[in-house]
Formats: sequence, C-alpha cells, structure tokens
Amino acid sequence: MSGTPRVLIVEDEAAIRQFVRLALEADACQVIEAATLADGLARAGEGGLDLVVLDLGLPDGDGIDFVRAYRAWSEGPVLILSARVEENRKIDALDAGADDYLTKPFGVGELRARARALMRRRPRGEELPPVIEFGEVVVDLSRRQVLRRGEPVHLTPIEYRLLAMMLAHPGQVLTQRKLLADIWGPSYVESSHYLRVYVGHLRQKLEDDPAQPRHFLTETGIGYRFQVTP
Amino acid sequence: MVLSALACVLVAIVAAPLREVLDLANMVMLFLLTVLVVAVSLGRNPAILASVLGVLLFDIFFVPPHFSLAVSNLQYLITFAVMLATALITGHLTATLREQAAQAERRERRTHALYEIASKLAGALSQAQVEEIVLPFVAEEFSGKCRLLLAEQEVPGDLPGEGLAPDHVARVIETGVRHLDRQSACTLYLPLKAPMRVRGVLVVRTDEAPDEADLAFFEALASLAAIAVERLHYVEVAQRSEVDMATERLRSSILSALSHDLRTPLTVLIGLADSISLAVPELPAPAEARIAAVGDQARRLAGLVGNLLEMARLNAGSVKLRQEWQSLEEVVGSSLKLVGDAFGRHRLRVELPRELPLLRFDAVLIERVLCNLLENAAKYSPADGEILIAARPVDDFVELSVSDEGGGFPEPMIGEAGDMFVRGHGESSIPGTGLGLAICRAIVDAHGGRLRIARAPSGGACVVVCLPRGEPPQIEPEPA
Repeated sequence: MSGTPRVLIVEDEAAIRQFVRLALEADACQVIEAATLADGLARAGEGGLDLVVLDLGLPDGDGIDFVRAYRAWSEGPVLILSARVEENRKIDALDAGADDYLTKPFGVGELRARARALMRRRPRGEELPPVIEFGEVVVDLSRRQVLRRGEPVHLTPIEYRLLAMMLAHPGQVLTQRKLLADIWGPSYVESSHYLRVYVGHLRQKLEDDPAQPRHFLTETGIGYRFQVTP
Repeated sequence: MVLSALACVLVAIVAAPLREVLDLANMVMLFLLTVLVVAVSLGRNPAILASVLGVLLFDIFFVPPHFSLAVSNLQYLITFAVMLATALITGHLTATLREQAAQAERRERRTHALYEIASKLAGALSQAQVEEIVLPFVAEEFSGKCRLLLAEQEVPGDLPGEGLAPDHVARVIETGVRHLDRQSACTLYLPLKAPMRVRGVLVVRTDEAPDEADLAFFEALASLAAIAVERLHYVEVAQRSEVDMATERLRSSILSALSHDLRTPLTVLIGLADSISLAVPELPAPAEARIAAVGDQARRLAGLVGNLLEMARLNAGSVKLRQEWQSLEEVVGSSLKLVGDAFGRHRLRVELPRELPLLRFDAVLIERVLCNLLENAAKYSPADGEILIAARPVDDFVELSVSDEGGGFPEPMIGEAGDMFVRGHGESSIPGTGLGLAICRAIVDAHGGRLRIARAPSGGACVVVCLPRGEPPQIEPEPA
C-alpha cells in the first residue's frame, strides 16, 4: 500500500455512499463511488484498489456476483454491507471470497475499524510471523508450541490446526463452512457440531473466561473471527 | 292377462263362421299365431295363458261335437297335445327373445348413461355438482332415492323420507365393502372407493331388491363418483396450497421490502450523525452532545424496528429455523458481547456448567432471545445490581435463566410468558414496548421449548428459557 489508500464503494443509496465517503475520507482515503454492480465492476477493473465496500442488494444484480467476478483478478479486501435478515447471502458472499461484513445499520466507528483492519492486513501469500502473541498466550508456529502464562498448553492435532488457521487470518471472519472443509475435510461441511466442540476446547484452554471470549469470537450464524487485541 | 284372453276369444269369434270353409289344421295355425303375437307383445305369462285358452277354445268351438269339451275322435287329443306343446314352446322362446332384447336395450341405455355420467363428472367443479349429476340418474333409472355422503362430512340423520343407519355408513367407509339393508325398502350402501382411500358412501334406496346386474351397475356408478370426489379433493388441496404459497410470498416480500425501506434511512441517520463528529474543525461540545443523542436515538429506533420486524416475521410464520447443534456457552458469549454497551456498572455473573450438552437451535434467534433478556435485565435492575446467567439440565430440557436484582415482575405475570405488548410496569419511564418478551416466547416456542417467568431469590425478575435436549450427534474421537 503506497500513498493514499483507494477505496471503492458500491452502494445504490446515495446517502449511505455519502457517509461512508465522509468516514473513510477522515482516514485519508481516496473514495470512488459506484451505484450499480456494472459500474462497480468497471471501476474495480481500473485497478489499484485497497478496499471495496460492497452492498449486497444492488439494483442490477447480486453483490455475490461482484465478489466472484472481482476475485477472478484481485485478492484485494472486500467488506460487505448487508441487512440482518440476510444471513445466508452474507455467508455465500463470504464463501465467495469476501473478507468481512457489516450489518446495517452500522456506526461510523465500526466501519472505520473494519476498513482499517482490512487495509492493514498482510497481503495474501506473505508469510506469517513465526511467533504470535495474544492476551497471555504465546504461539510459536515454528516449534508448534503454545504457552499460556509461560506454561505449555497441550493441544490435540485438530485443535492446533484450528488455532493455526485462525491465527493465519487475524481479524477476519472465517465461515464455518470454510473452517470445516479445511480442517476436517469437505465431507464435514454440514457437521458444525465439530466446530462448536473444538472452538469450545480452544476457548477453555486459551481464554480467561470461555463464556466471554476476547480472542476467539463467534459471528453467530456465520462463523468465527480471531482477534489479537480485544 | 286380460288382453291375452280377449285376443284368444276374438280369434275364436272371428274364426267360428269360417269353420265350414277352413280346415281344422288351419284353425290351429290361427291360434298358434295368436300365441306368438301375445308372446311378442305381452310376454311369457300371457303367452302361457293364451296357449291353454287357445287349446280349450279350439276344442269347444271347432272340434266336433261343437260347444262341448267332449271329443268325437280320439285323434284330436294328439292334435291338442301337439298344439299345446307348440304354443308353449313358441311362446316361451319368443318371450325369452323379447326379454333378452329388453335387457340388452336396458344394458345399452345404462352403459350409455354411465358414459354420460363419467364425462359430466370429469367436468364437475364441486361436490354438490357430483351429487347433482348422480342423483337424477338414479331417480330416473331405478325410481330410487340416493344420497352421496362424504367421509369428511357429518352423517345426517335422514335420507329424504326415512332414517339411514349411520353405523352402516361408518362401517362401509371403514371396510370398503358394500352393504345391502333389506329392511323396509332396500337400502344399498356403496363405498366410494378411490385409488387413495374410501372417500364416502353412496346410499341408494330402491323399492325392489336390486339384482346382480343392478349391483354391478351401482358399483360402477359409485367408483365413477369416487374418482370424481377424489379428483375434487386434490384440486382443492392444490388450490389451497397455491393460495398459501402466494400469501406466503406476498408476506415475505412485503416484510423484506418494509425491512429494507425502514433500515436504509436508519442506516443513513446513524451514519450521518456519527460522521458529523468527524467534522474538521471540531464542533462545539454542546453540538457534539446533541448530535451524539441523535445517533443514540436512531440506534434505539433501529433496535425497535428490528424487534417489530422480527415479531412480524415470526407471526407470519415466514421464519425458517436454521437449527444446528450449538453450544450454549458460545451463544451466551456472543449475546454478552452484543449487549455489552447496555451494561453500565451492572455486575455480571455467568454460571454455566462445563459439561453442558450441545443443543439444537437456531443460534441467531436464540442470541436474539438472550439479548432481549439481558437488555431487559440491564434496564430494570439497579445500576450496581447483579445480573446472573445460569444454565442447568433438567430432565429432557436445559434451563437457561437470566435473573436480575430489580423490582421483578408483578405477580400476575409470573408463570405466564410475554403476551404481545404487555409490559411489566405499564407506563413507566423506562423505554420499551413489551415486544421483547413476546419475541422471546415466539422464538422459544418455535424451538419446541418453553419460556417461564419466575421470581429470582433476590425478588428480582427471572426469565427461564427451557430448550429441549435431543440427542446430540456423536463426535468421532481424534486419532491419538
């Protein structure tokens, strides 16, 4: 990311575009607006984007189609805006390659935090740092070692893989479909109970209060998000 | 019979003057012809009468000595015997032919009628029409009364005129076997056997007992009616489900349009209110405070709209539960995070046993239940009061309770759970619509659970959500 970050907003409501622009310009972003899916794709095609903010319900098509098309040539972060009742469409968009979502109505504070986190994100393909710290936990990926308050924590192989996968996508929503397919295999995508149990184990081993987790957060109905700093 | 006797006498009178002219053998022919004519036109019994009468008249008027039964020549006895036998056989054969012709004609007429009924029934649009098509036909063909009784309907006490036995009707529907009741006029109960099941009973009452041919005909009629009734049944089912689907589509499209139209301005309102505080140079503090208040109110409105729409969706039955095996701890955690801001100085205590089973529910909806309960607890309890979230397995359920140290629910509400818009404290200064609990109840009911309002040991409010336990799926152990 060099110089001013460029952000594309694809949203049919002019008033929403307006305040999203205000919020992002306050973070010194250059904002490009598009009101339709076709226009959005044309603008995205010009390249050089650091973030796309995308409304799922567009007049000329489904936001998911935008994500699919955009992913054909770009790995750049995509933030989705959607209504609460559209869980399934959110999941579809995330599975199609979107990175995060905001539920309408949302505050400017949340929007800026999400946008910053996405733009700060390590580009895909870049290596993880070998040692990651969060809370009282230190994970040394090179030595497959997990310490909590200096004490080694025993994790089963699956727990460790789950932890490593979440650590690899800090701040990002991982859909339960993706987690299940990557860790247990494609035939487990409907077996969400595995995920519940194993995320529960991770929380019990690594969180101070498993009922009020600060790092392994639940995105209800969608998946999980790992957060380094609460 | 009278006609047949008259015919014979007439022949005798006409032939008497001719007896000198005509040979006796020809006289016999005349009488045989009469028997034939009588058999063709009047049937078997008159023909027998004509045969016997013919022989007697021949003897009296034409065989000497005249006007007496006595016979001069014994040879005439042979003539009489042959004449009688010929007359009887001819009469019998002719009458049989006549009957067969009549039967064939009747069969033809009925077959034709059945065909007509079938084609009319194919066009029938209601059960009343089916009856209208079948009834007049039975009345005309058998001068009988009939009645179509459908399995779904109440069995009426009377067939027009006389009583009808409901237990016969019930038995015929159950067994699908016809029943003939011979007491006082014959009443025939025919099952309406359709491919799927017995749809009802066709009751026919005739003066004479029906013969085999009649029974076969009635069976055919009943099965035609049955197919028509079944077809109507499925037409109705299809129409009903089509109407239901259309209503359903309309409802959900109205709801989603409404939801979009309400949310968009609220999103704008919240977003713009927030972004004013980003203005450079900074606004004076009082203006900042006012704009923050606008944002807060807009958020509250958004929450309210969210609740209203949720209630509408639940009431419309358009909510499809996305049930998965979920961890209660997880949903408690995400709800606490969502309502985090609502807790000011409240102390929060979470008491979840470690080994709670996974429960099957829609996490988004149960999260909504918990958020509503936690928001209520935060609203109605004193600023530094404790809010307790606890769970425990009880029989086939898991009870999740949220209790606070506030004033508690008024006595009449204990036990009962969340009627729409009933608030615990009527008009109070605490904002709310009373919708929250109603939504909670609707959601918990949809999960096959129960919502109970109780009193916490501290006297505060306690809402208990009971969710059924079910059998969680097995987790394959990890290979060591």
